[in-house]
Amino acid sequence: MNTKITISENHTLIHHFLEQSAGFFPDKTALIHEDVRATYAQINIQANHLANWLIMDQGIKKGDRVALIMENCLEYVVSYYGVLKTGAVISPLSSELKPDSLRPLLKELEPKVVISSPGFERLLYATDVTPFNIKAVLIKKPKLKWSSMPVEVFSWEEQIKNDEFPNADISIDESELASIIYTSGSTGKPKGVMLTHKNIISNTHSICRYLHLNDQDIQMAVLPFFYVMGKSLLNTHFAVGGTVVLNNKFAYPAYVLKQMVDEQVTGFSGVPSTYAYLLHRSPLASYRDKLGSLQYCSQAGGHMSRQIKEELRKILPEHTKIYIMYGATEASARLTCLDPDLYNDKIDSIGKPIPDVTLRVLDEKGKEVPSGQAGELVAGGPNIMQGYWKDKYATAKILDQYGYHTGDLGYQDQEGYFYLKGRKDNLLKVGGHRINPQEIEDALMETELVVENTVMGIPDELLGHKLIAVVTPKNKNCSQNQILEQCNNMLPRYKLPGEVIFVKSLPKHTSGKINRSKCLELITQ
Amino acid sequence: MSEIKDKVRAFVVENFMFGKDEGLEDDTSFLENGIIDSTGILELVNFLDEEFSISVEDEELIPENLDSIKNVTSYLQKKL
Repeated sequence: MNTKITISENHTLIHHFLEQSAGFFPDKTALIHEDVRATYAQINIQANHLANWLIMDQGIKKGDRVALIMENCLEYVVSYYGVLKTGAVISPLSSELKPDSLRPLLKELEPKVVISSPGFERLLYATDVTPFNIKAVLIKKPKLKWSSMPVEVFSWEEQIKNDEFPNADISIDESELASIIYTSGSTGKPKGVMLTHKNIISNTHSICRYLHLNDQDIQMAVLPFFYVMGKSLLNTHFAVGGTVVLNNKFAYPAYVLKQMVDEQVTGFSGVPSTYAYLLHRSPLASYRDKLGSLQYCSQAGGHMSRQIKEELRKILPEHTKIYIMYGATEASARLTCLDPDLYNDKIDSIGKPIPDVTLRVLDEKGKEVPSGQAGELVAGGPNIMQGYWKDKYATAKILDQYGYHTGDLGYQDQEGYFYLKGRKDNLLKVGGHRINPQEIEDALMETELVVENTVMGIPDELLGHKLIAVVTPKNKNCSQNQILEQCNNMLPRYKLPGEVIFVKSLPKHTSGKINRSKCLELITQ
Repeated sequence: MSEIKDKVRAFVVENFMFGKDEGLEDDTSFLENGIIDSTGILELVNFLDEEFSISVEDEELIPENLDSIKNVTSYLQKKL
C-alpha cells in the first residue's frame, strides 16, 4: 500500500515547490501532456538551465520582468519556475491577446525577455516588438524570419539542455515581487496584479491544507496557467509532489473524460461554464462508473447556479466530493471554500474563509454589517496582492485600511457562511429599481430550459436600462415565450428580461469565464 | 467525398477565418491553431447536424472526429 506523503510547509519561495519535490521524488512523473511525461528531476534541471541562460547570457537581474505567452505545456512549467529562480518577475500573458492588446501590456511591463511557443510566434511577429526594448525572445522551434527585427531570437532546444545542472543560488526575499498577472476585468484596461513569493506561497499552503492534497494526487488541468486558478493547480500539486495532467482540448470533453479515466485522475477543477459544458455537452453520465479515482471536483471563477450544482451532484459518482470556492487574482487565487459535507445544506454558499484569510461584509462607510445584510466582501491576509503594476490610482480604489475590496456583493448567514449576490459594478437601474442580474440569471437556470445564460443591461431612454438575456437553450425548439413564462412565476414583472437572445454557446475567455463584452456585441449587433 | 470536404472547408473558412483560408490544410488542427474554440466546436456541430442531417452524439465530441477538415470529412463518411 502506498503511503501518502504531505510535504511540510517549509517553502519560502515559489520555485521551492519544484526544487523540494525534485529532491524528494526525482523520478516521479510530475507532468503529463499528450506524449510528454516529465519527472520532477527533468523539469528542475531544465528550469536550472533556463535560469542560467537568463542570468549569464541575457543579464537578467532581480526585479526584471520576463513575459510568458504560451499554452499549458512542459515548457510553460519550466519557464515559470526557471524565471522565478533568477529573482526576476514572471508575467504570464493571456493566450487570447491580439497584437493591439499585447502592445500596451509590453509597453507597461517592459520585459527584458519574452518566452513563447510555436503557436504564438506569429502573434509576436505581427505585434512588432521593436519599440519595447525586448532583449531576447526564446521560442521552441522558431520558424519565421526575425533577422529584420532588432531583437535576438533563440531556439528553446539550443538553450535548454537536459544534462544535470545545479539549482541557481540567488538570494531572494519572500517579500519580493514574483509575478504580475493581468486580470481580464469586465471593463476598462487590464490591470497587472503584483504578487510576491509570500502571497503565492501562503495561498498555496492554505489550499493544500483544505483540499488535503498529497503526493498521490493527480490533477486534470484544463484551465490555462495564465489564469490564476489554473496556476494554483500547478503550484499546489508541485508543492505536495503530485502529478498534473495537462489537457488543452476541453472543447472536446469526451477526450478529456477518457484521459481522466486512463490517468486515474483524482481531482478536476473548473469554472461554472466548465461544468455547464460537462453536464450538457459531454458523455459524463456514461463515465460515472469509470471515474473510480476521482476524489473531488472543485469550482471557482464566479457564481455557479444552484441548478448546475444540483445536476452535478446527481451525475458525479457518489464518492466524488465537490468543493465550491471563491477567489480573485488579487488574492493570489483563493479566499473561501465550502466544506463538501455541507454541499447540500449550504448549496448557495461559497463557504468560509480558508486558513489565514479574513473576509468581512462591509457597508459603504467601512462598517461591518450584521448577518443576513448585504454589503461588499472585503478580504485580508498574507495572500492579498501588493497593488496594480504602475497604477496607483486603481490600487488606491480597492486596497485601503479595511483590506482588499473585492467589488463583490454578498452576505453572511448566522453560522458565518458567505453568499455572493453579484458584482457591485453590475447592478442595473431599470425603471427606478436596482436590479442584480445574478438573480435573473439564476431564475433562468431554474427554468431547466437553459444550458447557460448571462443577463445584461443596455441603455434605454425610458427605463434607464433594458434587460437582455443571452441564452443557450437546452432544446432547439424552445421559444422565448416558454422561458419568460416560467421566469414570470419566479420573478416580479420588472425583473423579467425585455428580450431573450438565443445563441449556440456564450462567448467565453480562454479561462472559461463568460466574455461579457462579446455578449454585449451580440446584443447590439 | 470532395463535395462534403468542400462544404466543411467553406463553413470553417467563412465562419472562423473571416473568409481567408491561408494556412488551412486538410490536416490543420482547428484547436491547436486557434481557428476554433469550444464555442466554435458547438457551431461546427450544429452545422453538421443541419447540413448533413446527422446527430453528433456527446461521445463523438473528440478531436479524431472534429479537429480538422480531414477528420470531419472521414467522420461524416462514417455517419452518412
